[in-house]
Amino acid sequence: MKLAVFVSDYRMTVDTLDRLSPEKMGIILVQNGVYHATLKENGTPSALLNKSAEFYALKEDLETRGLDASNVDSKVKVITLGDVVDLIFNDYEKTAWI
Amino acid sequence: MATTKLGFIVQRPPYKSENPKLALTHAIATQSVEVYLNEGDTVTADIAFIGDGVLNCKKDQKAMDYYGLTSTEQHIKMALLVDINIWVCKEDVEKFGLSEDDLVLDAEEFGADMTVNVVPYSEISKKMEEMNHLLFF
Repeated sequence: MKLAVFVSDYRMTVDTLDRLSPEKMGIILVQNGVYHATLKENGTPSALLNKSAEFYALKEDLETRGLDASNVDSKVKVITLGDVVDLIFNDYEKTAWI
Repeated sequence: MATTKLGFIVQRPPYKSENPKLALTHAIATQSVEVYLNEGDTVTADIAFIGDGVLNCKKDQKAMDYYGLTSTEQHIKMALLVDINIWVCKEDVEKFGLSEDDLVLDAEEFGADMTVNVVPYSEISKKMEEMNHLLFF
């Protein structure tokens, strides 16, 4: 299964993401999830970025929060809402929001 | 005659929930509460951003451009304009790899005299002890 997972929180209170093991996983960072792409707490990038997945961060939600695309971790591709639609229709069979 | 001191403590990041903005709007609203008080009584409000709450203070927020929302940055500037004390935890700012240059520190364009104070948590803790009521958002 090709699964796109929307992550919308910075502090994760569930471990659902750890239990998912699709053939292909895309993690789309939206809303407060975009902090995973930019913040380095005590110099360490988010542990979320260590997962085996393709990472995307929504440009609109980054800039809403005053975050600059140039500060996004190199593992993460900055995308627009239009790109999210393309990913859902072209690259992934199912989506989940956690 | 008495002064009631309210301390609004913001510990959540912006936008995902209404909490941080509610803290700001409630604090700003204290400016107009005097009509409901006895003569001579006053209410003051201070706001402190701690933990993930310091992310509210990131400057260059473009919420209006993308979502038609007044940004939390604008709310902070409005709070400065009505002379509300704003404290930001220095340790938490640094923990996220941010510096004062990354934060909204004043509202000069609106003519506000107040500025945001980036201070150690120990100073915020002292301020909290001075408050009559603490409200956590």
